[in-house]
Amino acid sequence: MPLEKIIFTVILLLMSALFSIIPGLTRPDLFFAVTVTPEFRPTADAKRILGRFRTIVWTSALAAIAIELASGLVLAALLIVGVGFLGALVSSHKLALAYATAPNSVLEVNLEAPREGLPGGPIVALLPVGSVVALGVWANLNLDRLPQRFPVHWGLGGPDRWVVTTPASVFGLLAIEVFLCILMVGSALAVFLWSRRISTAGPRAAGERHFRRRVGLLMIVTEYFVACPAWFALFQPSATIMNAWGLALGIVIVTFAVSLIHLGQGGSREAVAAGGAPLGDRAPDACWKWGVFYFNPADPSFLVEKRFGIGYTLNFGNHWSWAALAVLILIPLALSGLLLR
Amino acid sequence: MTLRVDLKSSIPVYRQIVDGLRILLVNRELHPGDPMPPVRRLALDLGVHFNTVAEAYRTLAEEGWLEIGRRSGARVVARAMPNRVDPQSGEIFQRRLQELVAEQQSRGVTRGKIARDLRRIADTLEGT
Repeated sequence: MPLEKIIFTVILLLMSALFSIIPGLTRPDLFFAVTVTPEFRPTADAKRILGRFRTIVWTSALAAIAIELASGLVLAALLIVGVGFLGALVSSHKLALAYATAPNSVLEVNLEAPREGLPGGPIVALLPVGSVVALGVWANLNLDRLPQRFPVHWGLGGPDRWVVTTPASVFGLLAIEVFLCILMVGSALAVFLWSRRISTAGPRAAGERHFRRRVGLLMIVTEYFVACPAWFALFQPSATIMNAWGLALGIVIVTFAVSLIHLGQGGSREAVAAGGAPLGDRAPDACWKWGVFYFNPADPSFLVEKRFGIGYTLNFGNHWSWAALAVLILIPLALSGLLLR
Repeated sequence: MTLRVDLKSSIPVYRQIVDGLRILLVNRELHPGDPMPPVRRLALDLGVHFNTVAEAYRTLAEEGWLEIGRRSGARVVARAMPNRVDPQSGEIFQRRLQELVAEQQSRGVTRGKIARDLRRIADTLEGT
């Protein structure tokens, strides 16, 4: 069997394994994005829903692997895995809704909670942006000394896609890099300043703060890696350096992912006292469309914790979310057009 | 120092914020000069609109508890207690207390439990 097929098969299996464990990564009083009592998870009904979810996920994976091995249709295989996962999620969410319970409506806010901000402060966060801007100033003064073409994509063997050096392509690339860096800083800032807190007092609130800080750190560290390709494109280092950069980035992301799962989203690994009303994520279940999209105009939050999986998602009931989404789509499109023109 | 709000209560959230913060102010848990949490932060923590918290802060500012700066946000200020007490205030207070007692009774709370709660509050008041 060709090496590529083996690698792809392993990737599909890893994806399915990840999908299988995702339901266990949420808070104990959330089950397939539905607020339930913490005692529900060990029941036979919950196990039946979870078992059904995993059966669909693994059946899709096996079907995808069979199609990929037989016909080599990689996209079709990925589509089958993706559709299988989403179908399993949505149907499990609908089944879990039968066991929904109202979350605790009483909130306690700690008025002395420490203020949160970017790890390392704004200077550390904006240093990569400054470095790319400085590179742009240098490039502007030395346009005639730049190589006739520069790489914009790298494979394992080195650069594999190039563009002709023009002022538009050089500054287009640098603008993309600046945009990506600002996106990272903005995302970290949004988590600290504009995300909804679930627990706002006690040890669970401290757990949530710890989780947010780790997410912010991931964003800032990744930003430093994201700024590097601009330098690589214009100074064209050896493939070894590029591969080392790619490997280091991969290690950083995997390390953070493992540590975030270990920490547990917002204290999801903490035990919940039995008997009381569940806290959930303090949002009505009806605001979670298919358990994935959050739409709540009454909630001022821009970001909210995902109910399914680790991380944050947009509150589509907040008009700023739509503005951010438009920026996220339109600016990269415009800058890519500038680069590839 | 916590602020407690029940989103399902018949009392509007704005009123609950005002009442909760006033308790902290009267009990000197919030001191003159203390900064209040930013409106945006408190609104996000409570999951309510920014205007709800801003309105609560404005009410407390009108009562003389807070000073609201354009840039510095809300801050607790030293408030002089009124020299003259409104003659009707005692009557209003008793009526509100009776309403609360009736509300508790209608929820099934026993008279003894209500009496103990009231006595505890009275003891705290006399202690201060």
